[in-house]
Amino acid sequence: MTLEKGLLNIIITGVGGQGNVVASQIFASAAVRDGFYVSVGETYGAAQRGGAVMSHVRLSEETQYGPLTPEGRAHIVLGFEPVECLRTIGSFGNEKTKVIVNSRPVYSIDVLSGVSKYPAVEDVLKAITELVYSLHVVEATELAKRAGDPIMQNVVMVGCLVGSGFAPVKVETLREVIKETFAKRRPEANLKAFELGVKEIKRTSPL
Amino acid sequence: MSSVVAKGPRDLQKNVLAKGLCSACGACTNLCPYIDMVKGRAVLIEPCGLSEGKCHDFCPRAYIDVPSLDKLIFGSYRKDLALGSNISVTKARAKDSEIKSSAQYGGVVSALITYALETGEINAAVLAKSQDSISAEPIIARNRKEVLECAGSKYIVCPTVTGVLEAMKQEKSKIGVVGTPCQITAVRKMQASNFEIEADKKGLLIGLFCTWAVSPDAYNYIRELVGPAKVTKLDVPPPPANIFVIQTEAKKIEVPLDEVRKFIMPACNVCFDMTNEFADISVGTVEGEEDWNTVIVRTKEGERILQGAIDAGVIETKPLEKARFDHLCEASLTRKKRVLTETEAEKMAYLTIREEDKSKIVS
Amino acid sequence: MSYVEIDEPGERVLLMGNEAIARGALEAGVDFCSGYPGNPASEILEALARAAKKFDFYVEWSVNEIVALETAGAAAFTGLRALTAMKNLGADVCADFLMTVNLSGTRGGFVLVTGDDPSAHSTTSELDTRNYARFAEIPLLEPATTQEAKDMTKWAFDLSQELGVICMVRTVTRLSHSRGVVTLGPIKRDKRSAEFSSQDVWTSGSSTIECMFHSILHEKLKRAQEKFEESKFNWYVGKEDADFIIITSGTGWPYSLEAVKLMELENEVGILKLGTTWPLPEKLVASHLKHAKEVLFVEETDPFLEQNVKILAAELAAEGVGPIKFYGKKSNHIRGEYGAGTGELNVDIVIRALTETKKATYPLREKEYSEKAQKLLGSYVPARSMGFCAGCPHRASFWAIKKAAKWDGREAIVTGDIGCYSLGLLPTGFSVAKTLHCMGAGIGTANAFGNLKDFGLDKPVIAIAGDSTFYHACMPALVNARWNGSNILFVVLDNNTTAMTGHQPHPGTGVNAMGDSSPRILIEDICKAVGAEVRVCDPFDLDEAVQNLYEMLQNEGVKVMIFRHECPLAFPEEKKARVYVDQDRCLGDECGCVRFCTRVFGCPGNIWDYEKGKAKIDEVICNGCGLCAKLCPVEAIIVEEVA
Repeated sequence: MTLEKGLLNIIITGVGGQGNVVASQIFASAAVRDGFYVSVGETYGAAQRGGAVMSHVRLSEETQYGPLTPEGRAHIVLGFEPVECLRTIGSFGNEKTKVIVNSRPVYSIDVLSGVSKYPAVEDVLKAITELVYSLHVVEATELAKRAGDPIMQNVVMVGCLVGSGFAPVKVETLREVIKETFAKRRPEANLKAFELGVKEIKRTSPL
Repeated sequence: MSSVVAKGPRDLQKNVLAKGLCSACGACTNLCPYIDMVKGRAVLIEPCGLSEGKCHDFCPRAYIDVPSLDKLIFGSYRKDLALGSNISVTKARAKDSEIKSSAQYGGVVSALITYALETGEINAAVLAKSQDSISAEPIIARNRKEVLECAGSKYIVCPTVTGVLEAMKQEKSKIGVVGTPCQITAVRKMQASNFEIEADKKGLLIGLFCTWAVSPDAYNYIRELVGPAKVTKLDVPPPPANIFVIQTEAKKIEVPLDEVRKFIMPACNVCFDMTNEFADISVGTVEGEEDWNTVIVRTKEGERILQGAIDAGVIETKPLEKARFDHLCEASLTRKKRVLTETEAEKMAYLTIREEDKSKIVS
Repeated sequence: MSYVEIDEPGERVLLMGNEAIARGALEAGVDFCSGYPGNPASEILEALARAAKKFDFYVEWSVNEIVALETAGAAAFTGLRALTAMKNLGADVCADFLMTVNLSGTRGGFVLVTGDDPSAHSTTSELDTRNYARFAEIPLLEPATTQEAKDMTKWAFDLSQELGVICMVRTVTRLSHSRGVVTLGPIKRDKRSAEFSSQDVWTSGSSTIECMFHSILHEKLKRAQEKFEESKFNWYVGKEDADFIIITSGTGWPYSLEAVKLMELENEVGILKLGTTWPLPEKLVASHLKHAKEVLFVEETDPFLEQNVKILAAELAAEGVGPIKFYGKKSNHIRGEYGAGTGELNVDIVIRALTETKKATYPLREKEYSEKAQKLLGSYVPARSMGFCAGCPHRASFWAIKKAAKWDGREAIVTGDIGCYSLGLLPTGFSVAKTLHCMGAGIGTANAFGNLKDFGLDKPVIAIAGDSTFYHACMPALVNARWNGSNILFVVLDNNTTAMTGHQPHPGTGVNAMGDSSPRILIEDICKAVGAEVRVCDPFDLDEAVQNLYEMLQNEGVKVMIFRHECPLAFPEEKKARVYVDQDRCLGDECGCVRFCTRVFGCPGNIWDYEKGKAKIDEVICNGCGLCAKLCPVEAIIVEEVA
C-alpha cells in the first residue's frame, strides 16, 4: 500500500495515564521494521497528571518528517477517549479522516468537580461523524478486561488500528514488537489484547 | 413547622461566624465535612454551595424566632415576659447523698437525668464531662455512674450539641440533653426543622440557667494560676463576692471575677435568655442557699418527669420565697432590657420577638 | 526496549531524541555523566544510567544542576569525557560555574546538554538557553532531527576536547521527546584514566589572569567558527541564489521544509539550515545574505539567530550586502498564540508566515470546516485540567494544610515550589498555594513573608516543598530563616521519589542513579540540625496531620512538618484494595455532603453517577488507597482489602 503523497499522519489521543506513549512506541517501532521513515511527536511530563496527551505518528516512504502534524492533516485518529478524540479532530481532522475510538469516557476533574459537564457519549460520537470520513466505535476497555487488565486498552486499540488496514503496518510485525516490548511484563496478556483488537475492528462497521 | 429563614453556610459565615457571635454550641459541626469546631469557635472550611442548610437552620445565633418556638413547644405565646412560658417555679434538691456530694449546688440535674435513665424515660443522655475540672467535652451517658462523672458546673464552653447529633445517630429516640440556653434552643430548632434528622424529634431537655461562658483561652489563664496541680472545682459565688474560685487538691485560689470576664464569649453578650426558656425543665442556683436549686417547670412532659422523680423519692421540693422569685424575674428582665437597648442592632438581628413584648420589656 | 545500547553499527532504529543524545555520548566514549531530573531532559541521563554498568562508565543524579556541572567539569579536568544534562531552568542554577569553567577551560571533552521547553508544557519558563552559549562565549550546537541529536552530541565531545572548552548542545521538547529513525554508529569504549598532576591548576583566574583567559576563550571561539564554516550540520536547499530565504535551526528545519513543500514553494525559496549556531559561521551565512532580498527566521523560542544574523548583516552593509527585509519575531510574522517570541513552533505557524510575507494563498483548513469544528468543540468538549493522580498523598497533604489554615483563621500565606505538588496552586490542590517560581523559591520567599511583622504583615506563613526539591534548593533558605529569625512553617512533602520528572531517586531514597544502594540522608535530621521544631506525619492520617499543623502554626520560629507517604505510581501496591460506594448510604447532593468526594476532594477515581444521582468509584482509575472512605461523612465508601 502506498501512502497518499508519500505521507501518513496518525494521531493517537487520550488522557495522561492511558498508555499513549507505549502505544505510539510499539506501532512506530513496527513501522520502522516494515521499512518506513517514522517520526513520533508527543507531549508528556505534566500531562501524566490527568491532562490530555496526543501522540503524532507520521509514516513516510521518502524522508523523515517533523514531529507535528499540520492543522487539518490527520489521516487517522486513534482515540483512547471520546472527548479527547473530538478535541483532536477539532484541530487536526478533515473530511477524509478515518477514526477509531474507545467509547469509555475518562472524566476530567473539571467535570467531576461540577465546573464542566461531560456530554453524552452518543453526542460526542455524533459530532465526530459530522467532521470525519468514517468512525469505528470500540469498547476497548472491556476487551482489555477480557484479556486480563483494563489498562491494556491501548494495546487493544493498536490492534484495531493495524487490523483495520488503514495503516500499512503488518499485523505480524506488531506481534513481534509486542513480544519483545512486553517480554518481562505479561507478554501473553498483551498479545491477547492485541489480537482482540484486530478481530474487533474487522467485526464492527463504521458509523 | 417550617423554618422562618431558610439560608445556608455562606449566611452562617457572614452573619454569625465572621461577627464572632458563635457560642460554640456545636449544632453546626458534626453535620458535614465543611464545618469544624476549633477551640470554642465553629470554622467553615469552605461553603458547600447549598443556599439552604441544616447548619444555618440549627444555629441559635443565625436566627431565633421566639414566638414560633413558643407556639411549637408550648402551644401558645408566652405570658410571662420575665421567665418565659412556665407551669411552676420551685426550689428543689436531690435526696441521694452521692449525688449531692458530686453536685455543684442542689444536684437536681444529675438526679433528674439519673432518674430518667433508670426508669427508661430516656435511653441516653448528652452531658458535658470534664477530665480536668477545667475544660469539658460532650459525652453520651447511659447509666448513673456515667452521669455522676459529669456533675458540676462548667465555665468553659463545651459544644454539647455535637454530642446530641451523635446520640441521634445511635439512639434514634428518647434522648436526654442537659445544656445552656443556646444549646437547648439549637436542639429545639432541630426539632422544628424541615430537614430530616435520623431520630424522632423528641427528648427530655433540661436547661441550665446561664449568664455567660468563657472561651477555651481561659484554660491557659487558669493553668498558669494553679501550675501542674489538679483542679477539683471551679465556682462563681453569688454577688456581692465578685470573685472566681479555683479549688485544687491543696488549696483554694480566688481571683477577681473581672479577670475571668475578659474571656467571656462575645456570643453571650447578645443572649436574651438567662433562664433557658425553651427547656422542659430549667434548673439554676438559689442565691445564698448552696444546697438547693431553683427549678422552673415549663412543659407537661417536664412536669410529669419532675413529679415522677418526687414520687420516687429522688428529689424533694420546697416553695420558692417571693423575694427570691422577684429577684430572679428582675435579673432576667434586666438582662433582656440591656440586650434589647444597649447592644448594636445589627448584632441582635438574629432575634425575633413580638413587638408588643419588646415594648413592655424595654419600658 | 533500549536500542540505545545495542552494538550494531549501521542498524536503523527508532529512538527518542533524548535516547539519541545518550547514544551519541556512548559513541563518543563518555566516561562521566551527571545531571538533575528536569523535563524535557530527564531521559538522557536515565538512558545513560541503564547503560552505565554494561559499558563501564559512571552516571550520577546530582543534588542539583550546579553540583552536576561542577562534578562533570572536574571529571573533564582530569581528562575524562564528561556530559551534564538538564532542563532549561537548570542552566540558571549552574550559571555560576558555567561562567567560570568557560574561562578555566577543560582537558577532556565536556558537553552540556540543555533541554528547552517552548510553550512551557511542563515547566515554569520557556527561557531559551542558547542565550547562555552566547553569554558564556562557548560553542553551541542545535540538532534538528533525531539523527543529528546523536551525531552532534558525539561530535561535541571531539570539538570540546580539541578546543579545550565546554560545548553546549541545545534541544527542545519536540526533539527530545519525539521519536525518529536513527542509523547507529559504533560504540567506542576506551576507558580513560583520570589524572590530576601536581602541576595542574584549574581556575578562571581574576584580574589580569582572568582577562588573559578571557582572551584565550575568544581565540577558542574563533577556531570553533572556522570549523563551523565547513560543518556538515549546516546546509542550504532549494532555489540557488533565491531572493527569499528562510534561515532556520533546530526543529525549525523540519517545519520549514514541510511548510515549503505544502505550499509548493520549493522552486522559489531557499532554506539555510544551521546546526552550529554560536558562533555563527559568518562566511557561510554571508554567502547567502549576499543573494537574499528577504529573510524569514524560523527558530524556537527567542529571536537568537534573528538578532545575530541582523548584526552580521549590519556589519556587511559596508560591503554591499542588503538592503534585506527581515521577517521573524520582531516583525511579528512568527508568532504563537500569545504573540511573537512566545510559544512553540509548528508547521502551521511557518505556513502562515509564508502566506503573509510571500502573499501566497494557502488555506490552513477549509474555513467552513474550522467553524463547524469550533462549534462542536464548544458544545461537547469540556476542559481537562491537571490534577493529582488517584491515591496521591499530595491531595491529602493539601487538604490538611487547607483545614489547618482555616482552623487557625489568620489567612495564612502559602508559598509553592516545583514538583507534582506545584499543582497546589490549582483546584486539585484546593488552590492553597499562592506563589510559584523556581526550585526552592517556596521557602525562599517565605523567609520574607514570615519576617515583615514590623511592616504590618502578621499572618502565619506556610512554605511547601517536595523531598527532591528540599535537597536541591531549600537548605540555604532554611538556614537563613533560622538565622534571620523568620517565623515560618515549612511543610516538606516526602513521597520518596522525584515524581514529576519520572520517579528518579534522590538522596533520601537510599538508591542512586545506577540502581546501587546509597546512604539515606534524612530530611528530619538536617532540619533538626538547623534547630527547627520538626514533626513527621503520614498525611493519610488526616486528623493527626491537621491537628499537628494547627499546633505548629501557633508556635514561633522555624517549624518543619514532614508529610511522608510514598508515591503510588513509584511504589504501586501488589494488590489493590477494592473500593466501592454503598449508594444507599451515599447522601449525594444533600445537606451534609453535597458531593464532597467528587466535587471537593476531587480524586479522579471518585466519579458521579448521573443516573442514580450518587457517587461511584471508577475501578480502573481507583488506586485503592481508601482516603476518600475516611473522609466520607456517612461512611458510604467501602474499602475491601484483597486477600
